[in-house]
Amino acid sequence: MNSDMPETHLQSGILLLGVNHTTAPLEVRERLAIHPSRLADATRTLAHQPGIREALILSTCNRVELLTVHEAPHTGSAPQLGMLRFLHEYLNLPPDEIRPHVYEFREREAIRHLFRVASSLDSMVVGEPQILGQVKQSWSVAREVGAIRSQLAPVLLESSNSIEAFSSVGAYSSVGAFSSVLDPLLQRAFSVAKRVRTETRIGANSVSIASVAAELARKIFGSLSGKTVLLVGAGKMSDLTARHLIQQGANTLLVSNRTEARAEKIADALRTPAITTGVIPFDQLHEQSHRADIILTSTGAAATGEQPHVFTTHHARTLLQRRRNRPVFFIDIAVPRDVSPEINKLEGCFVYDMDDLQQVAAQHQAVRSREAEAAESIVNREVARYNQRLSQAPAVEAIKQLQSSAEAVRLHELARTAHRLAAQPLSPEQQAAVEALTRSLTAKLLHSQLTALREAASDAPAADPDE
Amino acid sequence: MSLLWLRVAVLLYGIAALAVLPAALYNRPRWRHIAVPAALAGVFFHFVSIVETLYAAHRALPVDTHETLSWLGLLLAAAFLALATRYRTVSFGIFLLPVTVLLTIVPAFRPGHETIAYPFIRTGWLVLHIALLLAAYAALFLSLIASLLYLVQERRLKQKRPASGRSWLPPLETRLPALETTDQIALKSLLFGLPCMTAGLLIGSVVALQTIGPAFFADPKVLLSLAMWCAYMLMIFIRRHSGLRGRRAVYLSSAVFLGALAVWAANLFSNVHRFRAP
Repeated sequence: MNSDMPETHLQSGILLLGVNHTTAPLEVRERLAIHPSRLADATRTLAHQPGIREALILSTCNRVELLTVHEAPHTGSAPQLGMLRFLHEYLNLPPDEIRPHVYEFREREAIRHLFRVASSLDSMVVGEPQILGQVKQSWSVAREVGAIRSQLAPVLLESSNSIEAFSSVGAYSSVGAFSSVLDPLLQRAFSVAKRVRTETRIGANSVSIASVAAELARKIFGSLSGKTVLLVGAGKMSDLTARHLIQQGANTLLVSNRTEARAEKIADALRTPAITTGVIPFDQLHEQSHRADIILTSTGAAATGEQPHVFTTHHARTLLQRRRNRPVFFIDIAVPRDVSPEINKLEGCFVYDMDDLQQVAAQHQAVRSREAEAAESIVNREVARYNQRLSQAPAVEAIKQLQSSAEAVRLHELARTAHRLAAQPLSPEQQAAVEALTRSLTAKLLHSQLTALREAASDAPAADPDE
Repeated sequence: MSLLWLRVAVLLYGIAALAVLPAALYNRPRWRHIAVPAALAGVFFHFVSIVETLYAAHRALPVDTHETLSWLGLLLAAAFLALATRYRTVSFGIFLLPVTVLLTIVPAFRPGHETIAYPFIRTGWLVLHIALLLAAYAALFLSLIASLLYLVQERRLKQKRPASGRSWLPPLETRLPALETTDQIALKSLLFGLPCMTAGLLIGSVVALQTIGPAFFADPKVLLSLAMWCAYMLMIFIRRHSGLRGRRAVYLSSAVFLGALAVWAANLFSNVHRFRAP
């Protein structure tokens, strides 16, 4: 993990250790996963490890990451060992067992990784929206337990280039009170993620079969609020898809199954106070299917030889007549298919089988991959900007120090003069004139040095955004 | 000055018409933020231009075809804004905004010189007659566009794999309004247009009856207008009662729209609308 940051100026270091779906199998991830109810305690424990200033734990089904800020920048393995020790002690996992799966990022690379994670570029399904909420949740927990100090963040977030902005952040300041590194960093990560989501179409289209089906339903019906879904047959995928449709607003669910008891069971499982469910006996399926706007079939059992499909063109025509040509959406996830593909040729009928849904999901995935490239550029530029600001911080601190030393000398000399003139004190007007004179002199004497420092701050090395 | 404002409006409509393409076809939200404000500003300058023209000429009615077209353009741009606000869609702008540009570009750069010696009596009723009929035309045009968009959305949903490159349809990822939404817009605009057309025709008939007498019924434009009103009613009846959608709805809307164009063109043969005795 090489870093281009001017580490000689730094008084603290960022270290990120973690495992994710690409480095660790599920068996390892599930042992490392920290339940949300234990997250606060775990974060507090990590923050109390020796040498750690601030800490955050991100634990999702696909990743567990520990983000820490140390007292001083390290290039050695001490902080890493400390964090592994935490995992060992807290989760009762031997470090040797975890070590092969762990990745480690320091300073600039840790910042980049955090930005990528928050922007969902490092997710198993690139562009999925949940990760940002999970990072925010971890940040909120860390702030609650005091593992991250919340202060002065908005100054940096305002994108101000002013010297004062950096001096007030003082993230890597060599003097003064300890101020938060992770708080502004995480807030920056949130705004980068927001920028990625607004400026690219990385999360625009669904990529899972169930959500593609729900999205297609929205293209037909707009809002699914008030729509009726008919579930024909049973299966894990149809159950998941039905749940997605309900999530999107569908509020009536009818179930039809060859075994009525099974249909009752499915209806009971999906019933909530907001969802009305009902069972249609399988022998009345075609008489009652016109009640549904979306028909989700997964019987997986081919019908008789004469009627190879559960829904034929004839059934669909009758159904359309009863619906007065209102559109109907068939989602056929059965193999062999339940719905005749010919039905798709009828005006008002839309048939999507498993292949069609997978094809749409693949198209969406391709769009996301294209957009991910644009998103990576945004992240790179933001990392460079953030690093530039951090590298300017020492110069800013020097300016502050210089100004405060000069002010101290000025006040001291004024006090001495006032003491000498105690017998003949100056009038208020004279005092104001002397005050203005000393201020002006100090400012003029400091001008060239401050200018040089300001130039040094603005010329601080910026990272190459394309690297 | 009014011409200058109209030219500014045309420019803004042009910007909006261009910006709406990436916004609607490629889901670029930034372009939406250009298209909608540009159209809004265009409507403002257009309105100012119309008011200034009428104020300067001390009249309340459009006196030539160019001016009438300009009024219709204003209504179409306003319809685009109404849809963008109510349904959060700018897709209708793909059709509405270029037509608005076409309707306003001629009066902006070649103002008409027709003068109609219209009677100065009952000006308020005549204004209402014209405004209501223009609103009905705009509603009819909107309904036609909605039917076309329905057809496009239906075709690409049925085609499923439009990314082959051989298809003329926009890809499935393109965010067009949902089928039910376009259907609702089509029907609602027809239902909005019907009372406008009915009231507009009634007002026109009463004014013509009082000014010209019963002979006005023999005027070709009046006869065609009545025929169009019947067709309009029939279209609404069919759409509401048989749930006509898709291709056949486009055919029906197109037929009625062509009828409306014929009624418009009948101005050339109409004595009543030139305020001459038939």
